[in-house]
Amino acid sequence: MRKMNAWLDHHLGYVLVIPALIFIILFSLWPVAQSTRFSFFDFQLNDQQKSGLYFTEQYNLKLMHETFDYIDYYLEIEKDTVKQSSTQERIQDTQQEILEIYESIQAMFPGQTGIVSINDQEHEFLVKASDQVLAGLEALYRIEDDFNLQEDIMMVASELETSIIQPNYVGLKNFQSVLRDPRVWQTIRVTLFFTSISVGMELVFGLILALIMNKAMIGRGLIRTFSLIPWAIPTSVAALMWAYLYNGSSGIVALILARVGIVEQATDLMLTSSSALWSIIFADVWKTTPYFALLLLAGLQVIPDSLYESAMLDGANKWKQFLHITLPLLKPSILVALLFRTLDAFRIFDLIWVLTGGGPGGTTESISIYGYKVMFAQTRFGYGAAIILVMALCVGVISYLYIKFLDIQLISD
Amino acid sequence: MKRILSICLIMVLILSLIALAGCTPKAPAGEPAPAANEPVAKTKVKFAVQADSTKALESIVKAFNEKSELYEVEAIILTNDSGNMHDQIVNSLSSKSGEYDVISMDVVWAGEFAAAGYLEPLDTFIKDAGWKPTDFNAGSVSSGKYKGKHYALPYFSDLGFLYYRKDIVSEEDAKKLASGEYTYDDLFAMAEKYSGQGGTKYGYVYQSSQYEGLTCNVNEFTANWTDLENGLKMMKKFTDSKATPDNILVYTEGETHNAFLNGESVFARNWPYMNGMAASGDYTVKVDQIGYAALPNGGTVGGWILGVNVNAQNMEGAKEFLAFIAGPEGQTINATVGSYLPGFNALMNEPKVLQANALLTDEAFQKALQSTIARPVVANYSEVSDVIQLRAHEYLSGNGKLEDAVKNIGEKLQ
Repeated sequence: MRKMNAWLDHHLGYVLVIPALIFIILFSLWPVAQSTRFSFFDFQLNDQQKSGLYFTEQYNLKLMHETFDYIDYYLEIEKDTVKQSSTQERIQDTQQEILEIYESIQAMFPGQTGIVSINDQEHEFLVKASDQVLAGLEALYRIEDDFNLQEDIMMVASELETSIIQPNYVGLKNFQSVLRDPRVWQTIRVTLFFTSISVGMELVFGLILALIMNKAMIGRGLIRTFSLIPWAIPTSVAALMWAYLYNGSSGIVALILARVGIVEQATDLMLTSSSALWSIIFADVWKTTPYFALLLLAGLQVIPDSLYESAMLDGANKWKQFLHITLPLLKPSILVALLFRTLDAFRIFDLIWVLTGGGPGGTTESISIYGYKVMFAQTRFGYGAAIILVMALCVGVISYLYIKFLDIQLISD
Repeated sequence: MKRILSICLIMVLILSLIALAGCTPKAPAGEPAPAANEPVAKTKVKFAVQADSTKALESIVKAFNEKSELYEVEAIILTNDSGNMHDQIVNSLSSKSGEYDVISMDVVWAGEFAAAGYLEPLDTFIKDAGWKPTDFNAGSVSSGKYKGKHYALPYFSDLGFLYYRKDIVSEEDAKKLASGEYTYDDLFAMAEKYSGQGGTKYGYVYQSSQYEGLTCNVNEFTANWTDLENGLKMMKKFTDSKATPDNILVYTEGETHNAFLNGESVFARNWPYMNGMAASGDYTVKVDQIGYAALPNGGTVGGWILGVNVNAQNMEGAKEFLAFIAGPEGQTINATVGSYLPGFNALMNEPKVLQANALLTDEAFQKALQSTIARPVVANYSEVSDVIQLRAHEYLSGNGKLEDAVKNIGEKLQ
């Protein structure tokens, strides 16, 4: 007991972090590792030959069974339509021949189902078997008679080749294509533009809002509460609201902008690339400025009043106080807020998805939206995972730059 | 003592964590087999389908549930945005879920779904039901056929064609339209000429938002992709014209039927369902004010087909329902209640169907039926269509050059 106690004394900290570690591995590291794994394969859910991660050759037993069933079924139908009895016998023979091949293949995989892995020898045998079936059928169709299903049967029989699944491990090829994909660069440009402008504007407005909220005045609590409303509304709901406001035929914001002359016609607002992007930025600024202000407000409140008092005694005016006391002491808060918001903005998805869906003509498509389209609309999970990892890399670089910046700041303090 | 307690607590914590991790949600157990002689609880069949603006779907489900002793169909209404619906279904099917038993699919999805192995082949089913594939609408059946196997039966067949206001367009022009011998230039001239007459605001409305409907319209304007340059130029001419709404670039079917049926537009390109809505009498424009014509370069084949999920929880029920809805009973309801074009050929001569569907007896409409054009038939259809929508919309909205659009779409179509 004593020994155990002594051990615990030393290691209690480690024991206590185990649950947290398990959660991190389960919910953070595991999905990332999985995505990384996908990105090394030509993994496409809508292609039976690529809908798994295969290092070695595989054989699709289910498709093979279905194919042989179909060939037999179609030949049976042909038997009923052909005119000469000699042809019927030939069909009978072909069926028998194919049945034997079927049985020999079945004998190779006793009791197995689904997709199994095969070696070179088996591969050779299966290719030969597939060729034999095709040759047998072709020979049959050289006879002159009333056949109806030749095209269908040959097509079905070609699935025997499809049943042999080539390994779809492609190494870094997906990443090569991502780097060469002009649409990736276009979406990164859009995302960077959106991120820098919206975060910049949020910083300015957020700082002003925080300074106002920090003033001791009547109704301060109310102001703080109300200013948080935009941030509290779910993004998709806020986006729908803005979609109504921006709507070309009934939206009030679109109408006002058209009257003022910022856009030529109300309907142009969401239909030209630059105004659509600015509309999205504006909606995002409206939504997240309060969050920015909240983070800065926390920083403002830890600045001791005594500093301002002594500055006042020394004769510094408000502007000088702001420049030499508030701003330097707020710097850590500003950098943290900037880091949070930049990473958030770089992953923008819901706002754009609801407002424009990436249109007009893909000019407001962020990289998250492109990734979603590749993965879920086209089910190219391998390529999609590569896009997402490139995006994660960008996020990593941004955080690195910020954190490096932050560190210098902290040390010089 | 305290120490022992803390050790115990930690152990409990770790054990419960491990237990939690091992606790994967169990698949719901299959419904217990109903015992004989007891009132049978019907097994659910889940039908994933887009919302039906007519009452046909409701009537079919009701009729089946009254007739069937073993199964009860529940229609799961998915979004009407076909792109989102596609993603939702692919998500479910690719995870091998049996959430949906019978699936309603846009004709262009069948190839992709069949290639992915999501659908149950239906040849033996068709034979057992006593039918042949040729008993069904040829266009729909062939779009559900992949590598020699049939994976789908028609739900309703569909094609794009021109609607016009008989009470506004002059007899001479109407004759020209009905003959089918006119060009988009003629249509443009007429749209400008009649725009504003008879209480209308626009001359022509069609689908030009960045979605699948745009692909269909580009298909028609470019004469089945044979003349990309002039087709797109013509679309741009319509887009910029005062004869189309300013926001024509956000128009989908919904905006189109609202504008036309509320008497705001003289011409409209839409699918047959709009005639069913007009026939319901709920709108300003009534059926007897509407004329039909084939589109200048032919209309896109559309429509929806029905397939069975290969992992269906209730395969028997799914097939029984499929036989009902794709067969004469369901298709009769669809044609009479919803004015859809029947997918079961024998019904084309059924007096009851012809009576309910004035379209089928209209000569100009029959011309349209004979001049249909298909969308690209490729395995990676959604990728191809995505590029077409993107480039065409980019050009039409003034954000891209014509040459780029023609080049990019042309490359993708090869």
